[in-house]
Amino acid sequence: MKTILNDFEHFAPKTVEEALDLLSRYGEEECKIVAGGQSLLILMKQRLVTPKYLIDIKGISALDYITFDEQQGLKIGALTTHRAIEKSPVIEKYYPVLAEMEQNVSSVETRNWGTIGGNISHGDPSGDPAPVFIALNGRLRIAGLNGERTVEAEDFTLGYFETVLGHDELLTEIQVPALPPHTGVKYTKFSQLQGDYATASVAVSITLEAKKKTCSDVRIALGAVAPAPMRAKKAEEILRGEKISDDLLARAGQAASEEASPTTDAEVSEEYKRELVKVLVKRVAKEAFERAKKA
Amino acid sequence: MSEYSVIGKPIKNVDGVAKVTGEAVYAFDMTLPNMLYGKLLRSPHPHAKIISIDTTEAQKLPGVKAIITGKDTPGGKWGLWRRYPELCDQTALATEKVRYIGEPVAAVAATSIDIAERALDLIQVEYEPLPAVFDPLEAIKDDAPLVHEDFENNINATRHIEWGNVDEAFKAADYIREDRFTLSSQHHAPMEVHNALASYDKGTGRLTVWASTQSPYFLQLGLADALKMREGDIRVIKPHVGGGFGGKNSTMPESVNAALLSKKTGRPVKIVYNREEEFIATEHRTAMNLAIKIGLKKDGTILAKEVKIITDGGAYTGLGATTLYLAGTFITFPYKTPNYRYDGFRTYTNTMWSSSMRGFGAVSTVYAAETQLDRAAHDLGIDPLEIRRRNAMTPGYEAPGQYKVESCGILECIDKMKERVKEKWPKLEKDEGIGFATFAYMSGGIFNWIDTPYAFSGAMVKVNIDGTVDLFTQASDIGQGSNTVAAMICAEVLGIDVEDIRLHLGDTAITLTDLGAWGSRETLMNGNAIKAAAEEVKKKLISVARMKLGENIVYDLVVKNKRIYLELRPERGFSYYDIVRDAIKENDGEPLIGIGHYTPHNKGMISPAYGMGIQAVRAKVDRETGHIELRDVIVVHDCGQTINPLGARGQVEGSTQMGLGFGLCEEILMDNGLIINPSFVDYKLIRFRDMPPIELIDVPTYDPEGPFGAKEAAEATASPGAAALANAVYHAVGAEFDTNVLRPEKVLKAIREKEKKDRAGK
Amino acid sequence: MKKELKFKVNGEDYDLWVEPKTLLVQVLRDELGLKGTKWACDSGACCACTVMVDGRAVKSCSILALQVNGKEVMTVEGLANGPELHPLQQAFIDNWAFQCGFCTSGQLMAAKALLDENPDPTIDEIKIAMDGHLCRCTGYNMISEAIQDAAKRLQAQKQQEGGK
Repeated sequence: MKTILNDFEHFAPKTVEEALDLLSRYGEEECKIVAGGQSLLILMKQRLVTPKYLIDIKGISALDYITFDEQQGLKIGALTTHRAIEKSPVIEKYYPVLAEMEQNVSSVETRNWGTIGGNISHGDPSGDPAPVFIALNGRLRIAGLNGERTVEAEDFTLGYFETVLGHDELLTEIQVPALPPHTGVKYTKFSQLQGDYATASVAVSITLEAKKKTCSDVRIALGAVAPAPMRAKKAEEILRGEKISDDLLARAGQAASEEASPTTDAEVSEEYKRELVKVLVKRVAKEAFERAKKA
Repeated sequence: MSEYSVIGKPIKNVDGVAKVTGEAVYAFDMTLPNMLYGKLLRSPHPHAKIISIDTTEAQKLPGVKAIITGKDTPGGKWGLWRRYPELCDQTALATEKVRYIGEPVAAVAATSIDIAERALDLIQVEYEPLPAVFDPLEAIKDDAPLVHEDFENNINATRHIEWGNVDEAFKAADYIREDRFTLSSQHHAPMEVHNALASYDKGTGRLTVWASTQSPYFLQLGLADALKMREGDIRVIKPHVGGGFGGKNSTMPESVNAALLSKKTGRPVKIVYNREEEFIATEHRTAMNLAIKIGLKKDGTILAKEVKIITDGGAYTGLGATTLYLAGTFITFPYKTPNYRYDGFRTYTNTMWSSSMRGFGAVSTVYAAETQLDRAAHDLGIDPLEIRRRNAMTPGYEAPGQYKVESCGILECIDKMKERVKEKWPKLEKDEGIGFATFAYMSGGIFNWIDTPYAFSGAMVKVNIDGTVDLFTQASDIGQGSNTVAAMICAEVLGIDVEDIRLHLGDTAITLTDLGAWGSRETLMNGNAIKAAAEEVKKKLISVARMKLGENIVYDLVVKNKRIYLELRPERGFSYYDIVRDAIKENDGEPLIGIGHYTPHNKGMISPAYGMGIQAVRAKVDRETGHIELRDVIVVHDCGQTINPLGARGQVEGSTQMGLGFGLCEEILMDNGLIINPSFVDYKLIRFRDMPPIELIDVPTYDPEGPFGAKEAAEATASPGAAALANAVYHAVGAEFDTNVLRPEKVLKAIREKEKKDRAGK
Repeated sequence: MKKELKFKVNGEDYDLWVEPKTLLVQVLRDELGLKGTKWACDSGACCACTVMVDGRAVKSCSILALQVNGKEVMTVEGLANGPELHPLQQAFIDNWAFQCGFCTSGQLMAAKALLDENPDPTIDEIKIAMDGHLCRCTGYNMISEAIQDAAKRLQAQKQQEGGK
């Protein structure tokens, strides 16, 4: 741990194009993109990263937006702050789960400066937004000098702090489709103290058939219990097409806990994390189900 | 009892405006012209011989002004247990070998922090790793590596306490149980990190140090021993301090090395630890292994107690030896224990050393004693409050040769708690529980391990011609509010307002010696000194007023509300201001000065007075995850006469937060001597949302030894939190614990064990 | 290589040249001498360094100084109106909402941002807004109470001003 950051050359592009141009020049060297910097600057103090070039994209105002329409769904610019998502009336109305999730991301101070794109690009397996976007069937738009691509939210993170982003690429937008009718979504993170990093987190989206009895579709995402946020597909299979019951939810929890691949760390054991997944999936899916019934 | 004008009133903090405007200056904020920045190079090994240190490359770095290693120091050893020179074991920089990860081996002074940090990376140290020992139970084995060669079996200090006839008493007991506990460490985590600014004057050979310290006097002594200088040539000044909690009693390497570097460069040098250094290389609470055996009569009366403790001392002594003494004392409080035996051992290990922390000696032992008592009560079919009531100390209770408890409101505290809980929490939810734990602590310590020839506290009051007062005291306000208490006591005696008093604080050159802020000593000890100083002045004022009144000796005069008047005829008197003027003029212009001292006498071995009380915690347990939700807290506290109810409540709130943290989440995680969670991200502290509300109920008593009847307030309330929490969980779900940090995984495990036991029982 | 930083602090314009690696807290404390803003954790986890940037509470230890180019910063030194304390400051004093005071500047700035946005917060809303702030002395409850007290004072002040 050092008090002062390492020396670096600082660039502050004003447009995505400028940023991509800089990335094409420096991306392959010891170069980092900084947005809100809420994670990166600490890693730099710890000298876990020591970039020679820092491309500071915080000032690209074109990537700070939240839009919604019924067809296109939700679009969030990568440089939108956590706080803007938490407080957005559109999100409050159509995706309240996102606002709920944001309220528990670190502190207000972090949310006021930290960006959603920075958070996701950081690739922290215990990050809060990723599992929710996975449950919401989100897609991520990535810009590169050779054009754009989009990837499924669930495919974005490859492992611990590792993503699909190439050296010359930039995450620009998060897209979430409009929710099908009778859909309920719930996210819960477990940590001993509120506002702390997740020991385990679960996001569940459940869509019911018109009669609101049977689960027509379900997406279950797990955070902090694998090298990357992941879908619990076997657990989903147990629920999909079935009438939801407590017993079924418990079975889904069991399946998810077997699918997860947590590791023992200094604070908690692998077994305990599995236990948490079991309990959380059961509870969160139940709440998503209740929400779906009301939706 | 007369009505007080200031004492017992909610007086606002005298440092309030400075602290809310950002104007309060901490050592952390200070700079001096031409100042250099120092940094320490620390050992990555828990135990290793230092083969060589090569500073050549670092010296070449532009901006580096000085680098020192162990051989450049005067080699003075120091410690707080000065009465026993062999326990003065600290050094500025390790020379022969390092004893813990983080021990400094070299110090750099440079023109910027950045350069100093870079220079550290350029110093080459060759180590030869030695076998290391981390567990106190391993450390005492015959084949364990020795942390200090002169200390056989790594035993750093021992303590035996005994009274009554323990063996006979156990024979007479109806019920005996023995429990073993492993109590973990805890970090003070003050918001202001350790830091010091030293300025050495080559011309005069004198040193001035501004530091974040709890005791300017201890630091002055430590520096004198370390630097082999005369005490009087060292001036320590304590500006505002951003919290201490027991972690800033010892003289630490930052002060000593800043001084050495200043001496070498002729420029002021400042060393500031970063948070990681604060966690790995400053003192923390003493972890211990504890066995406690208790013998009771059927009705719950305590007949005998036998306690054995082995503490994890770490690499040096600090105040850890005191912890060992206090642990053996406070594990008996606040109960009558007719027969008692204690054996305590403090071990050296290859870890950062443990020392004093808020409620030291009491916090860990209360956890053991109070959770054990609940289990015993359960077995005997006695209500947890009732068993505490039956054994509660009463005023005047004495433990032969050890302590005497004069004022003692514990019975009333327990009764008030019973009433309040019934009223406030009439019904519990499923898996919700209430846990109780009593607490008690000292009002300053008596044992003179620092070996000072001075009075324990001193104060000087100077009254100016306009009636305002300059109060000189070394009492250390490190946030606990002792400045306000000091001004209040002085104002009460002289019948003036707190605003009329200007404080001159914590400067060893201009204030009389005080041992500093630890063990809740300032209110009683320094308070007595201030009261005595102010009373000396008051006496002079009264004699002038008496002369002017021409009344004879039997008529008592009162100094109050800025007047001096006859007690029985208040209309006959004078303005305080007139009498001050007359007193100075009539005494040939000699200033009105009063000097007061306090040292406890004939008060046993431990403390002149004891604060005490009981705490209740209501908590809900999630049976599926083991998560505990802290819901509500009640504290009933006897702190004698409360001096400032606002400040006292603040202290109870903060102390309770720390006690709950010890029980819930605060844990120093170590892997082969390496602290692996040295940050506020990984070392978990309770924050706003997890902090339950606290109701404080005051049970006033009057302690004859304290100023206006005051004694310890609030430090004791750091002790019961963890025990009360564990007891709440015990009553909610039946889970028992032999360790203190109730992380969810541990709780879940205990619940499962209990369920298994219950099934087997059926 | 130093770069230009133009910004406003407590209403005053500044035009400085800073190393890109300089953090906002370092500029405030070391360049501008505004030492009311503290720095306590090195990992963005205690919020002692909280200041307001364009009206929002942020951690000055986790922001590159260059990122506030063109923005308006407010520190604890800008809170009082001359000798007259801000109602939050007065409420902190009256409620004993600090002890050592080291975290207080950050607490005050976060509380200011909260009350600017939500003039009548519930205790729960206060706790959420303040949850990033570590305080080792107070146990938090008295800070929450002070913020509620300040909210009342500010509302009364507003009503009085409205009545004029």
